[in-house]
Amino acid sequence: MSDSSDAEVIGRSLSEPETFGLIYDRHAATLLRFLGRRAGAKIAEGLVGELFRIAFERRKAFDPSRETALPWLYGIGSRLLLKHRRSEARRLRASARLAADSQPTDRRMGAAALDARVSISRVADAIDSLPDEEREPLLLFAWEELSYQHMAEALELPIGTVRSRLNRARAHLRELLEPSGKKRMKPR
Amino acid sequence: MNPIDLTKALRRDAAFDPAALERGKAALMTMIQQEVQPMRRPTIVPRLPYENVGAALSFLERAFGFREVPTARGVRADGAIDYTMVEFGGGMVGLGAQGAHGAFSPKTVGTTTQYITVDVDDIDTHHERAVASGAEIVSRLHDHLREYRVYEALDLEGHRWRFLQWFR
Repeated sequence: MSDSSDAEVIGRSLSEPETFGLIYDRHAATLLRFLGRRAGAKIAEGLVGELFRIAFERRKAFDPSRETALPWLYGIGSRLLLKHRRSEARRLRASARLAADSQPTDRRMGAAALDARVSISRVADAIDSLPDEEREPLLLFAWEELSYQHMAEALELPIGTVRSRLNRARAHLRELLEPSGKKRMKPR
Repeated sequence: MNPIDLTKALRRDAAFDPAALERGKAALMTMIQQEVQPMRRPTIVPRLPYENVGAALSFLERAFGFREVPTARGVRADGAIDYTMVEFGGGMVGLGAQGAHGAFSPKTVGTTTQYITVDVDDIDTHHERAVASGAEIVSRLHDHLREYRVYEALDLEGHRWRFLQWFR
């Protein structure tokens, strides 16, 4: 069973539910890190439990033509995170403070970002103020490095819709970060 | 200024306790075990018709300590519960909207045609709880010979329940 695909494991778990434990073994660490990045380690631990409970209950609905269950699990996690928007926003601002402190030594920042007269805390605010339907693809793409195909599976959207939402997110961020720009999205 | 790169700059990992993974696995496996059990259902499962399944369910949980079987519930378009199952010890009873399968609530037809016997571990506590929850006691709590201690109660639509605890 250990070299079977996720789809085979989930299929088997319909008659032998304990088999579903293998899906946890394969993906729980990735999802715990994903949820932790977004909402913090403490909330992540509770959420990962809820995520796998939901996944187990809905395993019948998993599309067996998919090679991996990870995007499907990401999708369940994304929806659970909606209930923790406040923690996410707090964490994003804390990350901004940390990133600002370490800016000169953090190679990920690069010169371009330093040149842009954009304080990193404005980036955090801008990301936070994006509508959920744009913020989610943005973070799945930038932080989790999911492919378009996998984002489409996670968000249960056609791939073209994911692409256009990500483009809208990019455009919105640019707009929000314009030095002179006073345009704000709806306040939260 | 690439928005994606700026977003990436805010990516920060949360240190997680490696034991959290183990705890999550243990919780999942326990949950799976509990979910599996109701699949091994008793061979005979009575189904009781009610006018209001939702109200019946909360009464049976409150007054008699029954527990709804997770995932058993079916809901109508208007949000009302159409059918569900409750379990208690090793037994299980279905609750369903009346009219289906030609069965009707005693509240509608004015009579019962059956009653259900349930073994309990602590009959006095069970009885107290039923009384406190407003169950109508139709046979007072008493010892029957030297065999068991028993009482009978009606639920809120008049189905008759007989609860007893065997003497050793």
